[in-house]
Amino acid sequence: MSHSSAPSSWPFDSVLVANRGEIAVRVLRTVKKLGLRGIVVYHAADRGALAVTMADQAIEITGSTPVAAYLDAAQILAAAKASGAGAIHPGYGFLSENTGFARAVEAAGLVFIGPRPEQIELMGDKVRARNFVEKGGFPVAPSAIEDDDPATFVERARLVGAPLLIKPSAGGGGKGMRIVRDLSLLEGEIERARSEGLRYFGDGRLYVERYIENPRHIEVQVLGDAYGNVVHVFERECSVQRRFQKIVEETPSPALDAPLRERICETAAGIARSAGYRNAGTVEFIFGQGGEFYFLEMNTRLQVEHPVTEEITGLDLVHEQLRVAAGETLRLQQHDIRSSGHSIEFRIYAEDPGRGYTPTTGPVLVLHPPQGEGVRWDSGVVQGGEVTSAFDPMIAKLIIRGRDRSDAIARADAALRDTVLLGCKTNTAFLRRLIAHPAFIAGDVHTGFLDANPQIAADPELGEDRLQALLAVAAMSTQPLREGADVIPELHAAIGDWTN
Amino acid sequence: MHHAFKLGDAEHNVALSRGPGVYRLHREGHTVSVTLAELHNGRALLSIGDHSVEVVVATRGDDVFVHLDGEAYQLRYRHPLDRLAASAGGSADDSIRAPMPGSIVAVQVTVGDAVTKGQTLLVMESMKMETTIAAPRDGVIEALSYEKGQTFDRDALLVKLAAAGKA
Repeated sequence: MSHSSAPSSWPFDSVLVANRGEIAVRVLRTVKKLGLRGIVVYHAADRGALAVTMADQAIEITGSTPVAAYLDAAQILAAAKASGAGAIHPGYGFLSENTGFARAVEAAGLVFIGPRPEQIELMGDKVRARNFVEKGGFPVAPSAIEDDDPATFVERARLVGAPLLIKPSAGGGGKGMRIVRDLSLLEGEIERARSEGLRYFGDGRLYVERYIENPRHIEVQVLGDAYGNVVHVFERECSVQRRFQKIVEETPSPALDAPLRERICETAAGIARSAGYRNAGTVEFIFGQGGEFYFLEMNTRLQVEHPVTEEITGLDLVHEQLRVAAGETLRLQQHDIRSSGHSIEFRIYAEDPGRGYTPTTGPVLVLHPPQGEGVRWDSGVVQGGEVTSAFDPMIAKLIIRGRDRSDAIARADAALRDTVLLGCKTNTAFLRRLIAHPAFIAGDVHTGFLDANPQIAADPELGEDRLQALLAVAAMSTQPLREGADVIPELHAAIGDWTN
Repeated sequence: MHHAFKLGDAEHNVALSRGPGVYRLHREGHTVSVTLAELHNGRALLSIGDHSVEVVVATRGDDVFVHLDGEAYQLRYRHPLDRLAASAGGSADDSIRAPMPGSIVAVQVTVGDAVTKGQTLLVMESMKMETTIAAPRDGVIEALSYEKGQTFDRDALLVKLAAAGKA
C-alpha cells in the first residue's frame, strides 16, 4: 500500500468505524497510519475482537441482537458524540448504504466517509438506477415491460432479441420464468408464461429481458471527488459464486482483452461521473460470453473485495475515501493509475461446502494465518475467539498477489494449504479444489459454475493412509485412550500384537 | 478395550496400547507404532510406522481437530457407555440434538404426539438459513426443550423421544 502524504490538515482528527470484523480492522489500519484517532463501536459479542483491541477507543453498543446494535444509527451517533469523533466510516453492509444514516451523520456536523446521501438514494433503488444509467446512454440489458403498453408488448418483446427471459411481473423464485431461444415461439411462450403467472401469483402481467447465458460478473472500482472528477481503478471479476454470493474475486479479469477492458472501465467511470459521484464505489456489470455487458447496479461504498484492486495498483482505497470525504480533490488522474501483476481474493467462510455450504460455528482453537510473499490476510478473528451464528460466516479474506495469474494461483494453493484454523470447519480445502479445476485455471467460469460442477464442493474420499494418520492423532490426543494404554502392561500390548 | 471416533458420518474403532518407547494403534486387525511429539502452538510431529508428518492438533471436550496435509478434520470421541446404550436399544436416537447453534422458527409437534420417522418436528434457523429437524425414528415425543423464538447452542437437546417400546 502507498504511504503518500496526508493532506496538511484533516478537517477531522478522529474517525469512528461503524462496523465490525475484518473491515473494521482494515479501516482502522489506515486511520492509524495517517495519524488519526481510531474509534470503534462494538457489541458485547465482539468484545475480544481485533478491531476492539487495536482501536484507540472502543464504545460498547447494545441491541436486541448483535446485528441490531450495528444497525442502530442513534446509538452510533451518540457514541460518535461521546468520543468526539469527527468522521464516521460505515465500512460495508450494516448502515453503509443507508441514506437516512448518511443524512443524520451530516446533520450532526460530522463527515460521512461515503457519497452524498442523494447518491446513495439514486443507486439504492434498482429501477431508478437502471433508468438513470439508460438515460445517460450507458448499456442496460434490453427489456420490455408489458404494463408500459400492453397492446405492443409482443412487438417490444421481439425487439429485446433472443435469447430472452419471460418473467411474471408479480413473480419471484424462478416460478413461471421461461427462456425463449427461438423468436418464432415467442407468442406461444408468452401465453404459457401468462397462464403460469396467473396460476402461481394470480397475476398474468409479464415482462421480458435479454437472457445472458452463463454470464460473468465483472465490476469496476471507481473513485470520485466532490468536484466531478472521477477515475476508474480497473475491474474485478467475481464470477465464482455460491448462493448468489461471491467467494473468489480477481483482477485483472481473464475475460477481458485490452480494448474491452478499457471500454468497460470507461463505461463505469462515465456512469459515476454522470452521477457526480463522490467516494470509492463499484459499478457492477453482467457480462455475456460474446463480450456484451450491461449495467447491473452500483454499490456506493467500499467493497468486500477491494483489496485485490489495492494489490495490483498500490493504492490504499480507504485513504482515498478519507481524502475525498475531507473535501480534497482527487490526487490521481487516470494516467497515474497503473496496474501490475495479478491478484485473487478468497473469502474464507465458516461453512461446510460438502453439505450445501451450510454455516458452521465453533471456537477458534488454533489459527495460523498463511505467510509469505504476496500473501495478505485480512481478518477480524483471532486465535481464542469464537465463530458464532450472530454474524455473516466470513472469517477472513486471503488476498494473493502474483506476477501473473498462474503465479497467483500457485501461491494461492500454497497459502490455502498453510492456512490452519481448528475448531470450526472452513472452506479452505474446497477453495483448493476449485482453483485446481481446469475451467478455473483456464479462466473460463461463470456465475453458475459451482452449481454446474457440484463435485467441487463434495468431500473427496479419504485415503486409507490419511484415515489411519487421523485416527492415530485422535487416539493419542484423547485422555481415555492414553490412560488406558499407559496402565496396560507391556504384556497385554504384546498379546495385542500376537492377535494380528 | 476398543474405542471409537466419529469422522464425518462414519465411526471407526481403534485401540491404543503401550509398546517400548512408542504407542501402538490397533485397527481392523492391524497394528502400527505411533508417536506424537508436541512442538509448539498446536504443531506436532506424528510418526506412524516408518512415516512422519507434521500436524496441528487441538482438542475441546470430546472433539479432536487435526490439520493434516493442508486440510482440517474433526474427529469426535464416542464414549463407550453411549455406544453400549446405543447398541442396546437405539437410545442414541432418543435425544435429538442441535446440529448447529440457532433459534427455533417453528415447533410442529407437542409432547405426547406420536411421530413417524422423517416427520418434521422443528424448524430451526441458523445464519439466516432454515433447517428442519426430523424424527430419526417412529416414536412419541417425551419432551421439547425450546419454544419458538428461543436460541440454543450446538448439541443442545432439542427433542426427547420416549424410549422405544415404552410408547
